[in-house]
Amino acid sequence: MIRLIAQREFTEFVRDGRLLWAGGIMLLLIVTALGVGWQRQSHLHAERHAAQHLDYEDWLKQDERHPHDAAHQGMHVFKPEPPLSIIDPGIGPYVGSTIWLQAHRQSEVKFRPAQDATGLQRFGTFSAAWLVQILAPLLIIVFGFNAFAGERELGTLRQLMSLGVSSRALLWGKALALAMGIGVLLVPGVVVAAAAVVIESEPGRLLDSALRFLMLGLAYAVYLAITVFVVLAVSARASSSRVALISLLALWIVGVLLAPRVMSDLSRHVYPSPSRTEFASDLSTDLKSEHDKAWREQFGVSTGWGPDLPLSKWGVALQVNDHVGYGVLDRHFGALWDTFEKQQRMQEWAGLLIPVLAVRSLSMGLSGTDFVQHRDFSVAAERQRRVVQDIMSHDLIDHADPLGDRHFAYQADKELWAKVPPFDYQTPSLAVVLRHHWSGFAILSAVLAAAVALALLFVPRRLPL
Amino acid sequence: MLEALNVSKDFGANRALDKVTLRVKPGEIYCLLGANGAGKTTLINLFLDFIEPTSGEVRINGRKVADDPLSTKRDIAYIPEQVMLYGVLSGIENLKYFAALATGERHSREQLLALLTEAGLPEAAADGRVSTYSKGMRQKVGIAIALAKNAKALLLDEPTSGLDPKAASEFSQLLAKARDRGVAVLTTTHDLFHAKQTGTRIGIMKQGRLVADLSSQDLSHTDLETLYLQHMAA
Ligand SMILES: Nc1ncnc2c1ncn2[C@@H]1O[C@H](COP(=O)(O)OP(=O)(O)OP(=O)(O)O)[C@@H](O)[C@H]1O
Ligand SMILES: [Mg+2]
Repeated sequence: MIRLIAQREFTEFVRDGRLLWAGGIMLLLIVTALGVGWQRQSHLHAERHAAQHLDYEDWLKQDERHPHDAAHQGMHVFKPEPPLSIIDPGIGPYVGSTIWLQAHRQSEVKFRPAQDATGLQRFGTFSAAWLVQILAPLLIIVFGFNAFAGERELGTLRQLMSLGVSSRALLWGKALALAMGIGVLLVPGVVVAAAAVVIESEPGRLLDSALRFLMLGLAYAVYLAITVFVVLAVSARASSSRVALISLLALWIVGVLLAPRVMSDLSRHVYPSPSRTEFASDLSTDLKSEHDKAWREQFGVSTGWGPDLPLSKWGVALQVNDHVGYGVLDRHFGALWDTFEKQQRMQEWAGLLIPVLAVRSLSMGLSGTDFVQHRDFSVAAERQRRVVQDIMSHDLIDHADPLGDRHFAYQADKELWAKVPPFDYQTPSLAVVLRHHWSGFAILSAVLAAAVALALLFVPRRLPL
Repeated sequence: MLEALNVSKDFGANRALDKVTLRVKPGEIYCLLGANGAGKTTLINLFLDFIEPTSGEVRINGRKVADDPLSTKRDIAYIPEQVMLYGVLSGIENLKYFAALATGERHSREQLLALLTEAGLPEAAADGRVSTYSKGMRQKVGIAIALAKNAKALLLDEPTSGLDPKAASEFSQLLAKARDRGVAVLTTTHDLFHAKQTGTRIGIMKQGRLVADLSSQDLSHTDLETLYLQHMAA
């Protein structure tokens, strides 16, 4: 009975042309989005691959020079682009993916200010994920707003009820029809996306990508199912299909477009993050006072890098300076990043009311483009930076000139450069991601249960006719 | 067997049915007459569980509708005054769909065509989209749906509305056949002539009350028209 109902409904989508035009638009957009994603990704891929190689190679090929000079030049490291970023680029476009490892400073990202690592996301990037999050619900509304209201107006609901069709069977049948409708619209996109992910994945990580892809599919299926049941509930409750359509459009504008932005602002209000300049000035104030303290304690001088300290001690001084700085950096960046993560958590839990937020967070997580995974990379890059600094300072200590005056004349050679290992970064595994994001699945499941309950409530045994 | 036992139905302050009791036995055609707003449709709707009685109860084959409406509906077929169908489907597709939902069986095209023909819809029209049908043609598809269900009781709410005279008289023959098979038929109508011809019992409703309940014997020596007008004037 449910299948019959779904089939009839689906036939109607086909015959009244809704499926055709909606499918055309969706197909066009999804293919465009994936195309854009693919292009962006393979471009980055090629560029980085070449650049990273060159940069580490460049490092190794440096001529003889002072180690601290070399440390200042440093090297660039590149965040590997996860294969699923073709579907959901997440915060990638806002935080960039190249980090410059240089002396004295931990650079969060090279090309973009990071102050808005969470705030900027609210604008979203045109991507396949964006289409499914934002546009697919609109299509479900277009397909489903008249599911009950339209049949009530037409009078076929009386006919159905008189035959002894249960209202619940009608609900499940219509839900199935909407699922079929949106499924048909998404299938081409899913196939293309799957192919792209397979092509983009390194052979060794194919299983990881496949699992992520499946879970991404599951997350979006739950999200769309939520939309289906909300649409059916409103359609059953509304006094006319016009009212249903207007209510649903209002719900879409508020729930999908506006509320996420408000939540994003709210999360930054609750967990305020410093501006770029505030952060920089706090950090440098703190660094300066810690450095001054260390110089006084270790060397008995009041100013750093002055004539009071013999040049033979400058190697040790660099090391002391760096190590004192590490703690300060960890504290400041740790606090900043914790704040970002709290903002994200809050937005994710707001998904209980605004499910698009939950699915967005989950989608970025599974795609490997969320803040947690960006942080993981940043931490690894900073670790590498410290390795470079420590090796350079250590060499200066080893080669400290007892007379001191030849400190600046000293030059290290390729042997020293080669002591720095290449930056070998592995993106977090799916298990790590799931530890962070199980809550996303829990939230979406809870919302789905609530949406089904709402639909059951609004589709009582005796439907108003 | 259709039974209404002391049934009342209020819509807010408006009493649409007032303690109505009537029985339609197998093999009977009960014609319900009455002015607009007398409560005829309301009574039919109670049997279909479209609405709940305020008091009293309705029974189909001895089972209370309110207890298990899905199962009591299995025993009845219903033709409303305006049969409503899906415009984007053809007549035969509509019939196929509703018949499958009603019976749980898939009918072959031959079976469906036979049903439509029996209901009076020419075969040539069967594949046209219902959005192009006239009211009478839609009514005939509705009749075919009821035929497909092969129910023990028929609830008809001005079923011949929109039918041309020939189709209306063919419909009367269908009713007679159903009666002979032992089907209980409850039908509302404004057509006194038709009621007298086909009805085995006739009820007259006024302002929610059943004011007359006549057997065919009663009818043989009264003029229905005079009787009806007397009741209306009273
Ligand atoms: N859903 C409803 N809500 C409120 N009042 C209703 C409803 N349905 C019927 N009524 C009222 O109940 C009364 C009986 O209406 P009903 O439709 O049963 O009349 P009827 O005998 O079928 O009339 P007609 O010959 O015009 O079909 C009328 O006063 C009508 O206004
Ligand atoms: Mg009526």
